Amino acid sequence: MKVKFNNRDPVYVQVVRHFKEQIATGMLEQGQEVSSRRELASQLKINPNTVQRAFKEMEEQGLIYTEKNSPSKITKDEQVLHRVREELILEAVDTFVTSVRSINVPVDELVELVKEKYAADSKKQGGNIDD
Amino acid sequence: MIEVKDIKKKFGRRQVLKGVSFTANEGEITCLIGINGVGKTTILNAIMALTPVNSGEILLDGKKVTKESFEKITFIPDAITMIPQMTIAESMEFMDDYYNAWNQKRADELLKFFKLKKEEKISSLSKGNTAKVNLLLGLALDVDYVLMDEPFSGIDIFSREQIADVFTSHLIEGRGVIITTHEISDIEHLIDKVVLLDEGVVLKEFNSEEVRESEGKSVVDVMREVYKA
Repeated sequence: MKVKFNNRDPVYVQVVRHFKEQIATGMLEQGQEVSSRRELASQLKINPNTVQRAFKEMEEQGLIYTEKNSPSKITKDEQVLHRVREELILEAVDTFVTSVRSINVPVDELVELVKEKYAADSKKQGGNIDD
Repeated sequence: MIEVKDIKKKFGRRQVLKGVSFTANEGEITCLIGINGVGKTTILNAIMALTPVNSGEILLDGKKVTKESFEKITFIPDAITMIPQMTIAESMEFMDDYYNAWNQKRADELLKFFKLKKEEKISSLSKGNTAKVNLLLGLALDVDYVLMDEPFSGIDIFSREQIADVFTSHLIEGRGVIITTHEISDIEHLIDKVVLLDEGVVLKEFNSEEVRESEGKSVVDVMREVYKA
């Protein structure tokens, strides 16, 4: 697991976000065991106390759960999983809309462009799978 | 917790420490930052009572530092203090003879971690590997606090990365670490606390995650502000 951290956002927030992305994309499946705090600190090359903080946050948000004496696992709560996906999509759309708004593109034209771009990218990705 | 309270130190007519105060918690990595000559090493020496201070006090877990309490701390200087003709194995034996707190199991683990060969003579090692042996000898002691003077100074990037990995491993876990450095970029995500020094005074003491959270600033951002002011 490699993550590029920026220096201005709290690292624990970036770790939580990374987990959300992994959950939303299915890289981490529901009920899957996650690495221990120690392993994660080593893999991500960050302070173990920061990882601890990230785990606490994820537990509070219901992303992971920990039963006594066993490794933490990704939640099986469909509602939470759905919310994570929604949250990431909305965030991405927000960023996108903010940046294109300044160019004043009519929304229909924009939707058309998004569709084209999406189709082109999907093709590219499909090609990769065939390779 | 190590508490440094208003320590002052003069060398001749030069006031090197003009009342330095900060704390370093167990289980955290505290980083003393400042350009060379601001008194970083003097502070570490003072904690170890290698340099007597003129005033102020240093508390270890709430008590004055005594001979016994030194067994709770190890000081890793910026250069290795072993005789160059010795092999790594001989240096380890020396430490074992000299210190009750020597932990052979951890020493062997550190050897593996740093990919060092016991048979090699210290004089034949690269700068990076010498720095690793130096750290190994200190970190293999079972102590609660580790003081490291410029562990990243003057060595290649790969050695720096390897040394940085120690900080995220179980080899450090739970201990209180104070490191001095003038170069923060390698370890910005590894440290808990930052103490910015200048000319014998503490300009600012802060928790790096808190400053990112509340002000959206990196450690380097804060340094820029403080040192430019």
